[in-house]
Amino acid sequence: MKSDDRNITPPAWADKLLCRICAPHLLETILGDLHEEFNFQVSQVGPRKARLLYYREALGFLKLRYIKRQKSPYSATFTFSHDMIRNYFTIAWRTLAHNKVYSFINVIGLSIGLAAAMLILLYTKDEVSFDQFHTNNPNIYRITSRSLSIDGKKVGVMGNTGYMPGPKFAAGVPEIRSFVRYEEQQKDIKNGTEIKSEKVYRVDSSFFSVFSFPLLSGNPETALSQTNSIVISEAMAQKYFGSTDVLGKTILIKGNADKAYEDERFEPYTVTGVAQKSPQNSSIKFDILVPMVTNHGEMEESSNWFSVFMNTFVLLEPGANVSLVEKKMNLIYNADAKEAIREMAQKYGFKDQNQYALQPFTAMHLSADLPGDNGLVDHSDQKLSYILTGIAIFILLIACINFINLTVARSLKRAKEIGVRKVVGGGRIQLIIQFLGESFLLCFAAFIFALVIVQLTLPTFNDLANKQLALSYLFDIKLIMGYLGLFLATGLLAGFYPALVLSGYNPVTTLYNRLALSGKNQLQTSLVVLQFTIASFLIIGTLTIRSQFDYLIHYDLGYNDKHMIRVEKSNLTREEVKLLRQELVKDPNILSVAPKNPGRWFNSAKVNGETEISFAYETIDPEFLPMIEVPVLLGRNFSADSPGDSSRYVLVNETFVKKAGWKNPVGQVVDFWFNNIKYSVAGVVKDYHYTDLNEKIGPQIFTMKAGNTYGRFFVKIKPGTETTSLRHIKETYTRLFPLNPYAYKFLDDDNQQRYESEAKWKQIMLFGTILTIFISCIGLFGLATLAAQRRNKEIGIRKVMGASVTSIARLLTSDFLKLVCISFVFAFPLAYYAIDKWLQNYPYRVDISALLFLEAALLAVIVAFLTVSFQSIRAALMNPADSLRSE
Amino acid sequence: MNRAYLGEFEEIVLLTVAALDGTAYGVILTHEIAEQTGRAVKLNQIHSALQRLEEKGMVRSDMGEPTAERGGRRKRLYSLTAYGQRTLQQVREVRENLWSRFVKPFKLAVEI
Repeated sequence: MKSDDRNITPPAWADKLLCRICAPHLLETILGDLHEEFNFQVSQVGPRKARLLYYREALGFLKLRYIKRQKSPYSATFTFSHDMIRNYFTIAWRTLAHNKVYSFINVIGLSIGLAAAMLILLYTKDEVSFDQFHTNNPNIYRITSRSLSIDGKKVGVMGNTGYMPGPKFAAGVPEIRSFVRYEEQQKDIKNGTEIKSEKVYRVDSSFFSVFSFPLLSGNPETALSQTNSIVISEAMAQKYFGSTDVLGKTILIKGNADKAYEDERFEPYTVTGVAQKSPQNSSIKFDILVPMVTNHGEMEESSNWFSVFMNTFVLLEPGANVSLVEKKMNLIYNADAKEAIREMAQKYGFKDQNQYALQPFTAMHLSADLPGDNGLVDHSDQKLSYILTGIAIFILLIACINFINLTVARSLKRAKEIGVRKVVGGGRIQLIIQFLGESFLLCFAAFIFALVIVQLTLPTFNDLANKQLALSYLFDIKLIMGYLGLFLATGLLAGFYPALVLSGYNPVTTLYNRLALSGKNQLQTSLVVLQFTIASFLIIGTLTIRSQFDYLIHYDLGYNDKHMIRVEKSNLTREEVKLLRQELVKDPNILSVAPKNPGRWFNSAKVNGETEISFAYETIDPEFLPMIEVPVLLGRNFSADSPGDSSRYVLVNETFVKKAGWKNPVGQVVDFWFNNIKYSVAGVVKDYHYTDLNEKIGPQIFTMKAGNTYGRFFVKIKPGTETTSLRHIKETYTRLFPLNPYAYKFLDDDNQQRYESEAKWKQIMLFGTILTIFISCIGLFGLATLAAQRRNKEIGIRKVMGASVTSIARLLTSDFLKLVCISFVFAFPLAYYAIDKWLQNYPYRVDISALLFLEAALLAVIVAFLTVSFQSIRAALMNPADSLRSE
Repeated sequence: MNRAYLGEFEEIVLLTVAALDGTAYGVILTHEIAEQTGRAVKLNQIHSALQRLEEKGMVRSDMGEPTAERGGRRKRLYSLTAYGQRTLQQVREVRENLWSRFVKPFKLAVEI
């Protein structure tokens, strides 16, 4: 019978399951009983049924009662004993003090990484908190609009509005509690005899009840209710009156509030409030507020729905349904503006449908579609946050890698300590706690340093990130939690792996002195590769941004912007130009003077009968083009001698000709159909970059139309006569236009300033790259030192056998350089992808060249070589007798 | 009552352990009880009853010899402790006491 039963065994996996789950001290009896019962059942009911029964019986043992492990009869080791903790601190301190180089590398690296992360936290906190301080949030909205084409497609969105929407909607929609219109204007203000141009904001009287801007003095409810009242900021009060106690004093401002035109007198405004400085995380920053007064006619004219130039905010009832409010708003608009809509369609063929919408006030700051503009300041780009965060994470990661690499590589020296601790009864958990504790200790030191670094670098950072941040922001529970989290994460990230490795050593091997960490540590190798991948990636990025920046700066704009001065003068008439030119050229240093329209104008007209072209619309006079040295390729320039030029002729640029598809452009007709005026083309002007290089050259038309005002003039001076010429211009200007503020700019400076954001990116990337390289290199330095120490004897033997110093130095150096070269394999494709994406943003851009990558590679290799070679040469120069004597 | 609480199933297991007199272990107890009471008993029920009884101090266990049908594993042999014996005694006394107080001992209507 026994021989039959031998091949009949109970199901193996049930046994396995029980072995896995049941408590070891019960297992023998349970399995024994199960098997005996199985054998019995086989003889009773046969093997098949016995198996089934076996399953049932086995599953019955899956109960807590059988799973619970037996309590150990020995007392557990005390994890947190007072003496041990003191011992940990002593040992930690000794280790740190004994290995000053490594401690230094770790602390410096980590503190730079932490400081970078802290700055970014500050930055993001500021970004997130933007405009959040108003107590009426989240019920403040901005009225925006979108235009839909006839087939319902979205054609465009706009954040700005005109006079009409605010009051009309507030009157018709019960959920809208109040509205504020907010318009920026540049006004001349008289202070004694001096006239200054200041930004003045026209707002509705509900301004202070919607927004939370505290007043130092004055009643916020009535401050803006009188026509000629004015609220100024602390700083403005100090500037004009020398004190902040200025209620009831008067300020002279040119122009009446409801007339935007010039040739007006200075009118007195009474100060009814002094406001605190606007918070730096506010989109609304004002120095001067005056009440917005619209005369009756403006609100009646329904075509005013289509004139758009400012921001309107509304305050909704708490809990109001936004989409419902939007629907009601559009009902009101379609009813009120019916006539104007029809007129627009008739007159201008404007068939797009306009729809009003609401944008939460707090969403404005980071919005890409509907940014805060037209008087709303400090709009920021989310891309910058991403870039900054990326760089900070890179830096912190590299610092943590240093920590991991150095600790693991150095652990050979601590192997004995670990062995002894284990032999006298230290558990693995205790060792992990000890090593983690050490990493936290180091991290804490780095944290303190990081705070110091943040404090020191904050001004530079503010400059780069366009912020006014302060460390006093720290006193905020969320930020403190963030920093604490950062600290814990860094400590864990840096300390966890080493703690795990170190605590896993076998005491027998360590104490017999047989432990050898091989030089080919996979993890260390890959981490170094990762470090240098990041570093080379950033180097390539920086080089690209630099070359693109240089390219933009040195790009031939197609005209000469050297020694040109630009002066703004509003409402510059033809007679004034004549007079000005007469007076200015009296100084022989002044070569020519030419007026131009203010700002950038756009217009559209029809060519070839029906094709409509929109273009940049420039109002100039005959001297403008010769002055900026742009040639007229075909036909002729405007001439002062032919009076018909202003009413009958225009000039166009090459792009315009291309767009119009003209073979013989001269004499072609440009039809300004909605004004019903036709012009002939007198000449074709060579294309030049009239705006910055982020835009392609578009079609351009030059006119001398008498009805168009000039708003600025250009003066070309002889090189090297800046001081005298400027003095002459200023004297002439103030003599001729005593009531206009004088300000000038050099055109070439102005052109360079257009690339401010590129310059900023360049700087940020440069900083990030330098820090990354620095931290990577100190890590490499530490590793090289350790490698040289570990191979001490090997070097000694090699030297005795006749190896030269250079061959040994090369041996030690090449190990690390190989890793750096491997990192290029990863860095290059990534970098290529990234810079290719970035360069797509620019219509005029540099080509991605192999040279750039070569440059980056060379730079990385040289830096790594310099770092490593110091240690290698030192090790190679050592006397072999010293290293071989001690055993 | 100063004696420990004993469940009905525990009582049967304890009695069977006493009846088997030092040779009691999981499988044999299962078979014995199944035979005596006619109910289906599973091994894990016996094990948990034995565990409880051991925790209460009514049985003690020793490891026996390994046998072939157990795959070379040893048996855990159970025997009564003095406390277990006393408990059984008390249970019996309570029952007999009650039985003896019947004025009219009833007869089963149908003899099995």
